[in-house]
Amino acid sequence: MAIKFEQVNYEYIGVDGTKFKAIDDINVEISDKGEFITLIGETGSGKSTLVQHMNALIKPTSGDVTVYGIKINKDFKKTKKIKLNPLRQKVGLVFQFPDYQLFEETVERDIIFGPKNFGVSDQEAKKRAKKIINLVGLNESYLERSPFNLSGGEKKRVSIAGILAMEPDILVLDEPTSGLDPKGRDALLELFMSIHKELNNTVIIITHDMNTVYKYASRVLVMNQAALVYDGSPIDLFTKEHIEDWNLDLPEIIEISNNLEKKLNIKLPSMARNIDELFEMLKEVIL
Amino acid sequence: MNIIEIKDLSFSYVEDTPVLKHINLEVEKGEWVSVLGHNGSGKSTLSKLIIGLLKADEGEIYVDGILLDEESVQEIRRKIGIVFQNPDNQFVGVTVEDDIAFGMENLCFEREDMVTRIKEYAEKVKMSEYLKKEPHNLSGGQKQRVAIAGILAMNTDIIIFDEATSMLDPKGRDSIMEYIEELNNQGVTVITITHDMKEAVHSDKIIVLKDGEVIASGKTTDILNDKEKLNASNLELLLPLKLLYKMEEENIDNQDVKDLLWQLSLNK
Amino acid sequence: MKNIIIGQYVPGNSFLYKTDPRSKIIALIILMVATFILKDILQILVLLSIVLVVLKVGGIEIGRVAKGLRPIMILLMFTFTFQILFVKTGNELYSEPITISYYNLLMAVGIALFWYFTKRFIKFKILYFLFIVTSIIALFTLYSPGSVITTSIIEIYTGGITGAFFIMIRLVIIVTMSTILTLTTKPTDLTLGLEQLLKPLSIIKISSEELALIISIALRYIPTLLDEANKIMLAQASRGVDFSEGKLKDKVMQIISLLVPMFIISFKRSDELANAMEARNFVPGEKRTRLHVLRWTMIDTSVIIFGVFILAASITIVVI
Repeated sequence: MAIKFEQVNYEYIGVDGTKFKAIDDINVEISDKGEFITLIGETGSGKSTLVQHMNALIKPTSGDVTVYGIKINKDFKKTKKIKLNPLRQKVGLVFQFPDYQLFEETVERDIIFGPKNFGVSDQEAKKRAKKIINLVGLNESYLERSPFNLSGGEKKRVSIAGILAMEPDILVLDEPTSGLDPKGRDALLELFMSIHKELNNTVIIITHDMNTVYKYASRVLVMNQAALVYDGSPIDLFTKEHIEDWNLDLPEIIEISNNLEKKLNIKLPSMARNIDELFEMLKEVIL
Repeated sequence: MNIIEIKDLSFSYVEDTPVLKHINLEVEKGEWVSVLGHNGSGKSTLSKLIIGLLKADEGEIYVDGILLDEESVQEIRRKIGIVFQNPDNQFVGVTVEDDIAFGMENLCFEREDMVTRIKEYAEKVKMSEYLKKEPHNLSGGQKQRVAIAGILAMNTDIIIFDEATSMLDPKGRDSIMEYIEELNNQGVTVITITHDMKEAVHSDKIIVLKDGEVIASGKTTDILNDKEKLNASNLELLLPLKLLYKMEEENIDNQDVKDLLWQLSLNK
Repeated sequence: MKNIIIGQYVPGNSFLYKTDPRSKIIALIILMVATFILKDILQILVLLSIVLVVLKVGGIEIGRVAKGLRPIMILLMFTFTFQILFVKTGNELYSEPITISYYNLLMAVGIALFWYFTKRFIKFKILYFLFIVTSIIALFTLYSPGSVITTSIIEIYTGGITGAFFIMIRLVIIVTMSTILTLTTKPTDLTLGLEQLLKPLSIIKISSEELALIISIALRYIPTLLDEANKIMLAQASRGVDFSEGKLKDKVMQIISLLVPMFIISFKRSDELANAMEARNFVPGEKRTRLHVLRWTMIDTSVIIFGVFILAASITIVVI
């Protein structure tokens, strides 16, 4: 198990002296082979805090987080042999706003920054950058440009390229498609899916978009008020659980299917996975 | 009566790369118009051009009959308020009440007047309990509501929402859209600039931009029926609408289903 | 979300909190002048006790003021030592020759470094410092093997001792009075007060209103900036930047990886904020009305009179 959370809590003291619990008694295991996980929950439910434990950016206030064999808890002290920094190459975390990380003079230098920090040679890193810039949907001419002259969507792709270039085994993305228009969103999600399929690595995406969850995830983690309230398949989540309690919406396909069934008094044979399936089922029933 | 008229508007940041080409747009008093376009369609420069933050290369802008130029720009800014995309980068005041007051202070309102209005409009946007709060303690949706209050307090009755919900979470987005609906019902002229069709269908009229040009313009229901133009727009269509189009393509004639899908497309 | 207290403002309701920031600022300046006029240690002790009475009546905890003194601790200690060792007025108390050689100079440097790295573990920092200084002097006096660099005499006079205490108390008074100001006045009120007081600057074409607006916008963004700085640090740490270690060259790169994003974000923010302000009819230089106004009351007049009285008394005592 690459990442293991055991009774993990993280709390801090606000300025008025009150204790605030960001995550509460989390128990979860994540492997680095083949998982495509979406982490969902309303704003403030603890998602960002949770993922920042996965690459050892923060230490729990109680409980243990074990990442690739290194046990991290509130008493963790780094030694010569055991350091946390190398973990960040294995668990790559992309933050929501590219402005927080872009800083080099050219896109190429920014992309190779990460890998070089982990000991990759300049030559090898540049090779990776060339490959990855195409992967994220930008052509090679972007490598020489300044990252600051790019559009929001382009910056997003460069920041993702910077983490991909580190070749992490687990890729964690905090709302990677926010601010992108629907076409941009789909392109990026398809990219993550294709990388996931090719490398059989694990991808964890924090998102508010239920359609993304339904279309791509094989496993969903739901956070509500600092607790992990669901860990299972998307279809079960959307058909069996009371997600309104957690302030979540249904994916559009499911919502429309439900509406069609209710208002037209029909029963669809099964829950459609995409619009084509839904259309075929609808045709069957009404014709 | 057209409260905003844009005639033949063209604009480019860099010579020879026009961002807007010969745009024509009319907004009637009390209407809700959506300017719908993909990222890069030029829609983001529109609001800045309308209030004179950017100067057009060609064309004319009329607000309430007044032509926008160097002399009239302050008057026009009094008639139109803009809620921008980033809730944090338009919040000037140290507290909520300071921010609501900012516009009024610029217009030299009397102090007692400001105090009354702050109370009144904070109440309207449901932020009365937050008057002394500082922005870093507010959510994105709350900050946008403060921005709206500040605009209403200046007696402005045309508001442009320039991608005002794109940085908000779904809850924030819904609350703002609900509030915009309320505002429009009370007679405020609303222009929403967005790439989200789900938001655009709430409005009376839609103008579709693609690569700097208007490719479709008209009543929302007419636009939704214009399959060709919508498919060419580079926009993500609504799911019920896609189903409707598929039915039409395959000549399936079930009227009940079609009506239902149509209702769902309009998000009612 | 973490919250940060800006400045040192601590809420309260003594008379200090009911005063207009303008009167507090003016009183502070007047009392600072008085502090610098006084020459005698007895006089300065009287002023110190007056300040302590103000603290008590104003309901301010001594503990908070002591915290305000921490930053200047080192300055106090060095000035104190300097005065004792080098001021030669009054009666001689102690006189011994010292010899500095290469060997004991090296040892002295070693002792100083030892102090630097261990001082955080010691509770009574002032005493520890004095102990170290005494050890070094003892070293130079008693043990000087090897080739000699120079010889000198350490002389301590009564004037040095009183001078040391005098300067120390003067610094304490000044810092305490400033701390009282920031403890009892909200940053926004302070800005408002300064804006009013600096109005005369318009003569040299500096607009105090614009200055005040700049300061209040900066204040408004401090929590936001701190939050962003933290997020940027986390984002760069996720790319392998290890902020806990690194040679000088690495440290420079670490700082750049933090500063560049902060600057870029700030530029973008300024642009967007300026647009938003202009959209709301802001025109720099034009007249504006204000939501918050300052009210001058009897308390403020009394505070000013009090300050002037102290100043007058100080001048009288010094002249006579």
